[in-house]
Amino acid sequence: MPEIFINGQAVQATAEETVLQAALRNGFFIPYFCWHKSLSIAGNCRICVVQQEGKDWVEIACNMPASEGLKVLTDSELVRAHRKATLQFITLNHPVDCGICDKAGECTLQDYHFEYNGERSISRDSKVRSTKFVPLGKRIVLDNERCILCSRCVRFTREISKSNALGIKERGDVSVVRAAEDASFDADPYSDNVIDICPVGALLSRSFLHKTRVWYLEPTPSVCPGCARGCTVEIWHRKPEWRLKALDPRQNTSIARVTPLENPAVNGPWICNKGRDLAQIFERPRALQPMRKGKPVELADAVEAAQALIADAKHPVALVSSWGSNEELAAFRKAIGGRFAAFVKPDHVAVPGEPIEDDLLIRADKNPNTAAAHALFGADAIRFDAGTDLVLVWGEGFEFGRLPRGAKVIFANSYLLPENGHADVFFPISIQTERAGHYTNFEGTVSAFEPCFAKAPAVIDAEALFATLAVEDKVHA
Amino acid sequence: MPGRQLIMTFPVTATSHTLADYRARGGYQTLGKALAMAPQDVTKEVSAAGLLGHGGAAFPVGRKWAVVKLDDGQPHYLCANADEGEPGTFKDRWILEHSPHLLIESMLITAHALQVRHAFVYIRGEFDLPYRRLAGAIEEAYDAGLLGKGILGRPFDCDINVIRGAGSYVCGEASGLLASVEGKRGYPRNRPPRLTVKGLYQRPTVVNNVETLSNVAGIIANGAEAFKKVGTPKCPGTQLVSISGHINRPGVYEVEYGYPLTKFLFEDCGGVTGGKKLKCIVPGGISTKVLTAAECEPLTYDKQSLEGAGSSIGSGGMIVIAEGTCMVRLLQVMLRFYHHESCGQCTPCREGMGWMHRIIDRIVAGEGRPEDIERLIEISKLNDGTTICGMGDAAGYATVGILAKYRDEFEYFIEHKRSRLDGNLEVPSVVPAEAGTQ
Amino acid sequence: MKHLIPEFDRWKARFPAGFESSLVMPCVRRIQEDRGYVADADIDGLVEYLGVPRIQIEEVLSFYTQFRRKPIGRWHIQCCRNVTCSMVSAERLIDHLAKKLGVAPGQTTADGRFTLSTAECLGSCGTAPVVMVNDAYHENMTIAKVDALLEELK
Repeated sequence: MPEIFINGQAVQATAEETVLQAALRNGFFIPYFCWHKSLSIAGNCRICVVQQEGKDWVEIACNMPASEGLKVLTDSELVRAHRKATLQFITLNHPVDCGICDKAGECTLQDYHFEYNGERSISRDSKVRSTKFVPLGKRIVLDNERCILCSRCVRFTREISKSNALGIKERGDVSVVRAAEDASFDADPYSDNVIDICPVGALLSRSFLHKTRVWYLEPTPSVCPGCARGCTVEIWHRKPEWRLKALDPRQNTSIARVTPLENPAVNGPWICNKGRDLAQIFERPRALQPMRKGKPVELADAVEAAQALIADAKHPVALVSSWGSNEELAAFRKAIGGRFAAFVKPDHVAVPGEPIEDDLLIRADKNPNTAAAHALFGADAIRFDAGTDLVLVWGEGFEFGRLPRGAKVIFANSYLLPENGHADVFFPISIQTERAGHYTNFEGTVSAFEPCFAKAPAVIDAEALFATLAVEDKVHA
Repeated sequence: MPGRQLIMTFPVTATSHTLADYRARGGYQTLGKALAMAPQDVTKEVSAAGLLGHGGAAFPVGRKWAVVKLDDGQPHYLCANADEGEPGTFKDRWILEHSPHLLIESMLITAHALQVRHAFVYIRGEFDLPYRRLAGAIEEAYDAGLLGKGILGRPFDCDINVIRGAGSYVCGEASGLLASVEGKRGYPRNRPPRLTVKGLYQRPTVVNNVETLSNVAGIIANGAEAFKKVGTPKCPGTQLVSISGHINRPGVYEVEYGYPLTKFLFEDCGGVTGGKKLKCIVPGGISTKVLTAAECEPLTYDKQSLEGAGSSIGSGGMIVIAEGTCMVRLLQVMLRFYHHESCGQCTPCREGMGWMHRIIDRIVAGEGRPEDIERLIEISKLNDGTTICGMGDAAGYATVGILAKYRDEFEYFIEHKRSRLDGNLEVPSVVPAEAGTQ
Repeated sequence: MKHLIPEFDRWKARFPAGFESSLVMPCVRRIQEDRGYVADADIDGLVEYLGVPRIQIEEVLSFYTQFRRKPIGRWHIQCCRNVTCSMVSAERLIDHLAKKLGVAPGQTTADGRFTLSTAECLGSCGTAPVVMVNDAYHENMTIAKVDALLEELK
C-alpha cells in the first residue's frame, strides 16, 4: 500500500490507484473534465495537473501512478497558473451560450471557470465556429461549439453501452463528435447517459430542451419501475417555491426529467432510456373517480359495495400487481390476502421493439416488484378454477377478456382505461410518485422511492384501500 | 565527404536497392552472426555502441530495448518508423529507395534481440516509390528465405508487414504511429505505460526510426568499439542529414558527428544560393530552434555542440535560410503546418495551434497587435511539457526560437503592417549544380 | 469492394491472428485505389469483412488527408507549400496553377480532369518545389515544367 503525500499530508493509496483517485478519495479536490470513474483514462483535458514537490513542471494526476513516497501539490502557484491557462484554452472557442444553454447551473465548465479562472478571454480573435443543434438521433441534440472534446461520450459508447455509436471526426480544432452513420446511436438503449456525463452543454436531451432552468427544479429519489433491475433514479420537478401561478398548472406538477441516482449495488451511475421516459408512464391520463359499473360514486359507497362482494364470494381470485410496493403487498396480504387465491400478474410486458434483456441493466421482466410479490404470493401462473365468482384485479395489464364469465370484478387501477367502466367496483389508486415505498429487485436488493407530488383528492392509496376492505377471515389464513 | 560513412558507403545506381547488389556489398552476412548470439547480447552490443535514436528524440536505443522483458510469454512487436513527416527531412526515404535491405537485415537482427515474431514498417502514405522499393525488397527477402519461417535455416521466424499511412504528421509520433497500425485515428497516448511495456495492442513494442535501425547491422558486424571510433566520444556514429532550402547542393549527406558545421554548409553543400549571406539555419527539422549564422560559426555537428547552443540534432532535417528571408512569413508557414497536423486530442495543442496560426495570419495581413508577440510566446510556453505528445512542444520551440532571435522583424511587421524584408521567402537561386546525392 | 476480398484474405494471412483492425488502413487504401474514393457501400462491406465498428472506419476516413469519400478529378495535383518548398517558389507555382486551371486549391476543374490541392511537407525538400500528381512525385518543378506536365496529363 503506497504512501503518498498530497499538499504535505500523508495519504494511503491503493496499489493500482492514480494520484487523482487517491486525492479524491481522501477529500482533496482536483478538477477534471475528461476523467470519469467508470470510464478509461483519456488524459486529454489537462486540467487535473498537479506539481511534484521540488519539480518545476506539472503533470496530469489522472494518469499518475500513486507510487510510494510521491509528493504532490494540488494547489501551488504553478498548478493554479496552469489551470487558469487550461481554462483560457477551453473557453478560447467555447461559445458564450450560457444564456440559452440548458446546462447552465450544473455545468462543470461554468463551475471551474468561476473557481479557477474568473477572467475574460485574453484572445481578441474570432472564435472557431462549428455545427450547432446537430440531432444525434431522436433523443439527443449536439452542439459542437460547446463541446470540449473530452471524449467521455465516445468512451461511454465503446466501454459501457458497447454500441460503438459515437466517434470523433476530422482533427485538430475542427474535430467534431459525430454519431455513426448507421443510426446505431438511436438504437442504443443507454444513449442518454452521455447527457449526464457531458461536462458542458454539448449533449442535451431533446425532450428537456429549453423547458426550464435547472435551478427551478429539485430531484426526488425514486426507483425506475421499467424492469426488475430497479435502478435508482432522481425525478426532477419544480421546487415548491417555484411553482408559479403564472405557469400552466401542469408545469408545476409534471416530471421535468429523470436522471440516474448513483447506486453501486444496482445500476452504478447509469440508467437506460426507458427510465428517462418515466413521464410517458406516470403522466398518462389518470383515473380520478371511484365507480360502480362505470357510474361515478362516492368512495364510501364503492368501499361498501366491494366489502359486500368480498364477503359473499365463495371462490375469489386476486390478481396481484407486480408494481405494488413492498408496503402495499404486505398490506394486501395482511388485510384480505388470506381470503383470495392470489396470483402475481405482470402489469407490463415488453412492447414491440423494446430491448428485452442485456448484459448491462435491462431485465426481461418489465415490472419493478415481481420478486417481493412472488415471495408473498408464489409464482404460479394465473388460473381461474371453475366456480370463480369474484376477481380482484389490482393494477393494469390484465386482458379483461380472460376474466371468467359471470364473475364479479373489483378493479384497482391508476390509469384511465375502458376496463375501469366495466368493473363492478372501480377504485382509482395512487402511483409511486405520490407516496413513499420500496421495491425489491430481481437480486433481492431493496430500494426506496419518495413522493414528488400530491395525489388528487379522490385517488386512494392502495395500502389504505386494502385496510378498509379487510374482512373477517372465514378461512384460517 | 563530411567525415566517415557508415550507411552511404556505396555509389547509388539503378540497382543499388536490389538483393543482389546488397549481397554484393556484404549484405545479410551479419544476420547469421547475430542469430548465433543470445538475444540479450545483441542488445548489450547496441547499448555499448551508444547508438541514439535518429527520429528526433535521440533516446539511447539500447536503453529502450532493455525494457522489453525477454521470455515473458507474450508477443513482442517491432515497428520501423518510416513516417518521416518532419518538414525538412527526407533521409529515411534515401535508405528505403537505395538500401531497403539494410533496413530489413537490421530489423531481423533487432527482432532476434527482442524476441519479435511480427515486425512492421509504418511508412507515410505519400511515399510511393520508397514503398514500392521496400515492398519489392521484402518480397525478394521472402523468396530468398530471409523472411518467414526458418530464416537462414535457423529456428528463427519473422514476418514483416508494411502499413502505409495516409497523411498525418502526428503518426510519426511513436504512439500515434501504433494507433494507426491498429487501424484507428492517429491519436498519441499518454505515458505511462511506456510502449515497451504496453504498445501495439497492449503488447511490449519497440518503435525505432528507419535510420536508427539501419545502424544496427553495422554495429553487430563490426562491434560496438568500431562504431564508437566514428563520431565523438559522447556522440558516436553518423547522421544522415537532409539539407535543403537556400543551399546550392541540397540532398542527403551522411555527416560524421563532430564534423564542423560551417565546413559542411559552405564546402560540402556549396554554400548559400545566389551568392547570398547565410541568415540562419533550422538544424534538425522545423521543431528545432533556429541558429543564426553567427551562432553556427563555432559549432560542430553533434548533440552536445548543438544543445550547448540551445538547439538540437532533431531529425537531421537542415533548412538553410539566406539573408533577406522574412522570418515572420517563415513562422507563418510553420504554424499553418502545426495547426493542420494537430490531432485535436488535448486542450493546449488543439486550441493553441489554431490560436497561434490565427495570430500570425493577422500579423502577416497587417492586423497585428503589440501584445501578439508575447501571446505567441505564452502559448508556446503553455504547450511545453503539458501535452500528450511532443507536437505542442515542437510548435513552441519553433516559435520561441524564431522570436528570440528575430523579434525585431515581428515588431516591425506589427508596427508598419508589412515585412521589413519585402515578405520574401524565396531567394533567387542558381540551378543546383549537383546535389550530394539524388 | 467484394471483388477485392481475395486480395484482402492474402494480406490477412500475413498478419498475426487478432490483427483484423490493422487491415483497416490497407483495405481502405486499396478500395480507394480501385474506385477512386470510398463509397458508403464499401464501408458496409468492410465492416462486415473485418468485424470492426463502423464508426472506426468513418473516423479513419475523416482523420487522414489522403482518404476521400467523394470522387475527385482524374489527376490530383498536390503542391507542397511547406517551409523549403515555399522558400524556393512553391507559392508562385501554386498561384500559377490556380490561374491556369481556373480553380482554387481544393477545387476540381469543370471537365473533371484536374483537382488542385496544397499539401504539407512531402519529404522531398532536397528537390523542392515538389508537385505530387496522383501517386508520383514530380521534383525540382518550375512553372515551365509544370506547364509541360499539364500538357501530358490527358
